[in-house]
Amino acid sequence: MNPTKHLEMRGVRKTYRYFTLDDLSMDIEPGQILGFVGPNGAGKSTTIRLAMGMIAPDAGEVRILGHDIISAQALAKRDVGFVSAEMRLLPHASLGWHMRFVASIYPGWDGTYAEKLVKRFNLRPEQNVRALSTGEHVKAVLLLALARRPRLLILDEPTNGLDPVARHEVLSEFMDVLRDDSRSILFSSHNTVDVERISDRITFIDRGRIVDSSDKEDFLERWRRIHLQLLPGATLPDLPNIVGNARDGQFVTLTTNHFSDAQIAQLGGQVRDVQRMNLEEIFVANVMHHREARGQ
Amino acid sequence: MNIVVRKLIAKELYVNRWLIIGATLSGVLSVLIAATGNKAAFNIGMLTWITTIIAFGVMLGIYGVANERKEHTLLFVLSLPISTGDYVRAKQIGLSLCFFMPWLFSSAAAVALILMHPDIPDGLLPFTVLLCVFMLANFLLVVCGALHARSEALVSAVIIVTNMAVSAFMFTVAAIPAIGSTMFGPTPIWNDTTWTVLAAELVLLATAFLLPFLFAARSRDFI
Amino acid sequence: MYSGLNISQTDARPMYLQIMEQIRQRIAAGDWAAGRELPSIRVLAADLRVSVITIKRAYLDLESEGVIVTRHGKGSFVADVNGLAGELQEEKLDEHLTAAAGIATGLGMSADDLAARLRRVHKTLEKKK
Repeated sequence: MNPTKHLEMRGVRKTYRYFTLDDLSMDIEPGQILGFVGPNGAGKSTTIRLAMGMIAPDAGEVRILGHDIISAQALAKRDVGFVSAEMRLLPHASLGWHMRFVASIYPGWDGTYAEKLVKRFNLRPEQNVRALSTGEHVKAVLLLALARRPRLLILDEPTNGLDPVARHEVLSEFMDVLRDDSRSILFSSHNTVDVERISDRITFIDRGRIVDSSDKEDFLERWRRIHLQLLPGATLPDLPNIVGNARDGQFVTLTTNHFSDAQIAQLGGQVRDVQRMNLEEIFVANVMHHREARGQ
Repeated sequence: MNIVVRKLIAKELYVNRWLIIGATLSGVLSVLIAATGNKAAFNIGMLTWITTIIAFGVMLGIYGVANERKEHTLLFVLSLPISTGDYVRAKQIGLSLCFFMPWLFSSAAAVALILMHPDIPDGLLPFTVLLCVFMLANFLLVVCGALHARSEALVSAVIIVTNMAVSAFMFTVAAIPAIGSTMFGPTPIWNDTTWTVLAAELVLLATAFLLPFLFAARSRDFI
Repeated sequence: MYSGLNISQTDARPMYLQIMEQIRQRIAAGDWAAGRELPSIRVLAADLRVSVITIKRAYLDLESEGVIVTRHGKGSFVADVNGLAGELQEEKLDEHLTAAAGIATGLGMSADDLAARLRRVHKTLEKKK
């Protein structure tokens, strides 16, 4: 039996005066964490708002948990938890009020789990929302989403403003979600360390277009920095899949997006070191490469 | 009407509870001040009464709609299982209900003052009723504007224009001979002119109330 | 909550390799006896706060090495294989040799030079015994 994808965006386009999101396609399977990474202004928030139906695409299709997000918006969002760093809770109410409010709307609310999260996140339900610090506010919003045990969690910068301890706790809660392989997470964040750690797949976006999308381990295996010291009088052989080239006299650093032993063989004894790249390095190199290719 | 919409309407009333109570008290209190007898008290009371209702309406419009969008609490509300159309409907009904109680009490108090106070001519009744209905229409226009306008500047413009309209209304209607001539008489006179003005107000009111259901609710881009 | 394994993101080695090594160590030491069931992929992923795909890869590679055995629908188990300790040591040897080869290359040494050097060292060690 083919389980329905939790998120499906096909050929989505959204045009604004100074910015266009074009030909966007993205998928999330149940049981998966998709890391969504991009520079500021790349269109991450726009994509997420399109996914939540807060804005409508000019072209293309958006489906959440099998429902078309525009025609069945209320139905689709019933099992989706949305957390955005920009989101604010209602200022005249307490966290406890919000918990009761959310609990009365969603049958999936788990009161016991909510209480556990209140303790773990060190929050006080009677406290008015206005009195919460940035970090506490983020944790409150996360609590309200997590305690409903939604099938799909859409997270837009969920760890902004969190101290390292809080981040550790929050990430543990995210990973706990994935103990259930029928649930999934869209995790959009600048924190590439966290994204690298917990994501199964990673999608890069830049200037309104998806630049690359693959399994995380695939990215980590394919990308390398090759450090060379050229022999006197030698020139660099023409190697395939080299996307970056930095030179300082005899010393050259090549960046490749499809590392193979054949490349090393061709370079021979000139290779001094081959380094793996972390997600942030891959991300920056990938974006630069694609901008060059597009003549930007 | 689904449960989330009903909860959002309840939330609107809850969140604005102090504003509602305060406006009701202020409106009734102004009438009591006006009732104390002398002309100065009457003028002060009347001014406070009008200001209360207008200010209350404006605050509901600003905090209820424009601020919610600006303060990103809109993102929280939209994350709930509702469509953007549901949001508009819940807002419109919720804010209208918030306004209704203080408006009703204040208007009833004003009408009672006119009819029961020996020194205040009953002829003022039609004018007062027209004014009350106008202020209700005014409020609905502000909310309608706030629900459709995206920029803060536009919402402010709507608020300023509608406020100026109240003064303009009072002077214009009082200047209509058919109304102005009977205003200070001992009996309330309901003639064709008063009915016409009332009818126009009701049309304006209904339009302002219904427009968001027809347009803002259909809006595909909410942020 | 099973927190026996420890993954560091600041370690130069990729996460899946760290996991594999720590599992191999426990098996070699006897803590994880032959036939013992490994934690399910999702449970381990949640415990270590690491992506499912990373654990999957570690388990797949361990299986291809013969260290663990995966029975479809039942889970993964420590393989009933002897000489695992030896395998571990051989791996360590490979690591050291790779490092040595790297340095040699940096110095511009050929494979023959390196082999000669190794023979010299080996002879010295043998003499000491």
